[in-house]
Amino acid sequence: MNDRPRMISLSEWDDRYKELSDAGLKEPAYGGPLSRHVDDGDLRLRALRFDNSAAALRLWNFLLTEEDRLSAARASGKKLVGTMKDLGTVPVIAYSSPELVAFYPDGAWWIPCVMELGAGLLGIADSLGIDESFCPVRAMLGAFATEAHFPIPDLLICSVGATCDDFSAIAQRLASLGHSIAWWEAPARRKPDPGEESITLPGGFRAAVDQVDFMKSELQRLRRIIEKEAGSKIDDSALCAGIKAANGVRRILAELRLTVFRAAAAPLPALEMLIAEMLAIHFCSDRTESALVLQGLLDEACARQAAGVGVLPVDAVRVFWVNPVADLRVMNLLEKCGGRICGSEFLFSHALDEIPEDLPPMDALARMALADPMIGGAEDRADRVCADIELFGAEALLISRIPGASHCATEGQVIGDRVRSRLGIPVQEIEVPPVSDSLLPTLSTRIEALVETVLQRRKK
Amino acid sequence: MIYAGIDAGSRAIKVVLFDDENGQIVASGMADQGIAQEALAKELLEKLLHQRQLPTGSVAKIVATGYGRNIIGFAHKTVTEITCHAAGVHHAVPEARTIIEIGGQDSKAISLKVDGTVQDFSMNDRCAAGTGRFLEVVATRLTVDLYTLGELSGRSRNPAAISSMCVVFAETEIIGLLAAGVEPEDIASGVQAAIAARVGTMAGRKIEPPVAFTGGVALIPGMAGALEKVLKQPVSVPADPQMTGALGAALLAARI
Repeated sequence: MNDRPRMISLSEWDDRYKELSDAGLKEPAYGGPLSRHVDDGDLRLRALRFDNSAAALRLWNFLLTEEDRLSAARASGKKLVGTMKDLGTVPVIAYSSPELVAFYPDGAWWIPCVMELGAGLLGIADSLGIDESFCPVRAMLGAFATEAHFPIPDLLICSVGATCDDFSAIAQRLASLGHSIAWWEAPARRKPDPGEESITLPGGFRAAVDQVDFMKSELQRLRRIIEKEAGSKIDDSALCAGIKAANGVRRILAELRLTVFRAAAAPLPALEMLIAEMLAIHFCSDRTESALVLQGLLDEACARQAAGVGVLPVDAVRVFWVNPVADLRVMNLLEKCGGRICGSEFLFSHALDEIPEDLPPMDALARMALADPMIGGAEDRADRVCADIELFGAEALLISRIPGASHCATEGQVIGDRVRSRLGIPVQEIEVPPVSDSLLPTLSTRIEALVETVLQRRKK
Repeated sequence: MIYAGIDAGSRAIKVVLFDDENGQIVASGMADQGIAQEALAKELLEKLLHQRQLPTGSVAKIVATGYGRNIIGFAHKTVTEITCHAAGVHHAVPEARTIIEIGGQDSKAISLKVDGTVQDFSMNDRCAAGTGRFLEVVATRLTVDLYTLGELSGRSRNPAAISSMCVVFAETEIIGLLAAGVEPEDIASGVQAAIAARVGTMAGRKIEPPVAFTGGVALIPGMAGALEKVLKQPVSVPADPQMTGALGAALLAARI
């Protein structure tokens, strides 16, 4: 554990890195000082504040070296599978084959932020007719066009149907550019009709057996496509092992969330927690290393909690956060305004739940996929948000909208209204573009006012 | 003791001096906003102190609020305008349970608890459609000032339907209405109704009465009436509605 947990700037990390190195820091091959990524164009790092632990350094280095990992995997003869618009299920199948590495091309949505628009990816998307009325994930088109941010996958898989209109349009444009895509249909999860045979999904929702069966048939079809790419069968025992390994990652993350969100003093900052949670859906191209990175964070958080120290004052207002932000800097803003993260729902809460291990693997994966919050109603998300707010003891809710995103036009209102009526805590909605510098005063006012509102409540 | 509240808003800087011993406002003033916000605020504060023949050091504590609050370096504390408006309105209209505040570049709906603290709040997005900026654009297009625009609306017999929710497109729409011979008073009334509708949507379905309407836009004739129609309940405008943020800041300064 660090002697003094705190949030530091990139330049302060240079000194900190030297200090850790002098003290015998052991790093994986992708390790090194954080500031070196600025030379690769990751300019946004200069505006961020980071946790000062070695575990956080490892997390950032892991995240920012994914391209190298993918290139190395390809060089070693492995096939790359781009799993788009699937937040956590197909990667489990792909990682069940030792011949494959799955990754998440949609992750390119953060490149405009991380590179402060320097890569011109949004401009390329514009030129392809996918303008700013679409979600920032359109940056993915630019990443494919430039081939500069990840190797072009050998196999592309994308879910459509009840996922996201924006993403479907973007992926269709990608297909029109000559990238062959294996499409699969994700049905809209509905409440079972009265008397209809139904099943409880991970996360507690119920779904009609017909829908689970349909999802299973789609995943079976994908399994065959993936096997073809791998050049070998993925049998049930391999899938079970894949599920077990994925659950290992999910278990660590679940414990990390519980530890951080429920601690009296926040052991880790909001930004690192956001990045950590993202590992659950795609493993950042290395499932084994993901588990190690998360375990490092968990060990750090536990040590800090045991020592009664954190990165923020104990009276920081406990805020539950809904939706990921296009600009990472806004996670820092929460803390600057006197808040701390105390629960999150980043659109993939199903990927935080364990996949059933007592079922045939494809049945388990079908149930998992059908629990995806993006294919259910906003009311389902609201129910889970309410439950988690109570679990973590959050005092306010912040809903972050993604400009152009069309997951659900009214999700903010639906979730906000339910939280207000059920829990009576203040709610605020913000919109965060990929580079939000000019909006920071406006965003600050909203977050500060939310914090002030909670502080007034505490005095009563 | 004298306490000062400074509301560094988008269009104007407002300062209130408050004497907590007799619970009275000692002085208040307003100046146009500019680039050198801190200097403008200091100048206004000193002007008010001079008017009241109070020495510069007589202000015990200063709270700054508004968009420019963080620029007011001589303030002892900054507090958001949401909290300040709540404090200011509760002082002026203790029974108010909802505040509608429409300023130069944003609008807010604040629900209050019985004790005047904030229960919850909502604000407009980046769009200027529900703000004073909308009225400024229309006033410029109709070549009248804001007050006259309000008076014009009172003479309307057939308010124009402004369908656009974007100021830029609404301006285009207004040009079209003028070209079609629609009377300026009908356009003014239609714009007020459009702003009120926008704010009503932002405020949501559950608006607990009584409603107080503050901010500079509350001074414009016809706006309170337009809000009443949308909210379907009476709306009261406190005295000096543009000063409630600064008043709240001064009241909060007394609690530091």
